[in-house]
Amino acid sequence: MEAKDLLNYFNEKLFISDLKATTKEEALIEIVTEFEKLHLIKTKDILLEMLRQREALGTTGIGKGIAIPHGRTTVVKDVMIAFAKSNAGLDYSSMDDQPVHLIFMVIAPPVEESNKYLPVLGKLVEVLNNHSTREKIMAVKTYDELIKCMSEV
Amino acid sequence: MVKKVLEQLVALQDLDMMISELEEVEKLGFEINGRQNLEEARTELVNKISRPLLYSYEKLKKRYKRAIVPVQNNVCLGCFQRVPTSLSVRGRDDTAVYTCEGCGRILYWLE
Repeated sequence: MEAKDLLNYFNEKLFISDLKATTKEEALIEIVTEFEKLHLIKTKDILLEMLRQREALGTTGIGKGIAIPHGRTTVVKDVMIAFAKSNAGLDYSSMDDQPVHLIFMVIAPPVEESNKYLPVLGKLVEVLNNHSTREKIMAVKTYDELIKCMSEV
Repeated sequence: MVKKVLEQLVALQDLDMMISELEEVEKLGFEINGRQNLEEARTELVNKISRPLLYSYEKLKKRYKRAIVPVQNNVCLGCFQRVPTSLSVRGRDDTAVYTCEGCGRILYWLE
C-alpha cells in the first residue's frame, strides 16, 4: 500500500479541525458523534464500546502527539478514517505521557474482502512516524490541506 | 444444542482472529496489555467445546483463515460452492454439525 492510497479512506465530513475534548473519553465521544450525525452508523454506543474495550487492552496513543484509536465493528461496512485535531492538546494516557494533538480513528467491518484494515493501520503509523509529516499535519486547517499533506508523503 | 456448539465455535474463531490481529497491531508499535484476558477467555471457551470438534476446528484453522463459515443462499461463504439443498435443509435442523463438501469447512446457516 502507498501513502496516497490512504486518501481513499478519509472523508471530508469526518474532519474535525478543532476538537473541543480535553480527555480521551470526550475525544472518542466527539469523533464517534460525527459518524452518527452523518448516518454512517445507526447508534454510537456499539462503536464507542468497541473503542473503549480496545483502549482497555492498551492505549492507542502511540506518542509524539498522535493517537490512532482503531478496531473492527459490525456497525460499519467499509474501512474509514476520521481525523481530528486538538490545538490545545488532550490527555490521552499516551505511551509517552505527552498530550495528543492528532487523532486518526480507523474503523473497519469485521470482515472485508479486500482486507485493507491492517495495511491501512500500518501505513498510517509509518507515515506519522515522519517528523516533518507530523509537523505539516499539525498545521492543517482544512480538509484539502490534510489531503494535500498526505498526498505529498 | 448443536446451534449452541456452533455459536461457541464462531465465538472461538472471532477470538482467535482478534488475538492474531492484536499480534499484528502490536508489531506496528501499539501497546497491548490485555492479551492475557483474551487468552483466558479462549481457554474458558475451549473447555466448553467437545474434543473431536475442537480438533476439526484446529485442523481446519491451519489450512484456512476461517474454519467455520456461514451458508447464505445455499452457498458456502468459504469456497463459494453451492451447498446441496438437502444439506441446507438438514443443516437448519438442530441435529448435527455439517461440513462443506467442497472445502471441508464447518458450516452454519444464517437465519
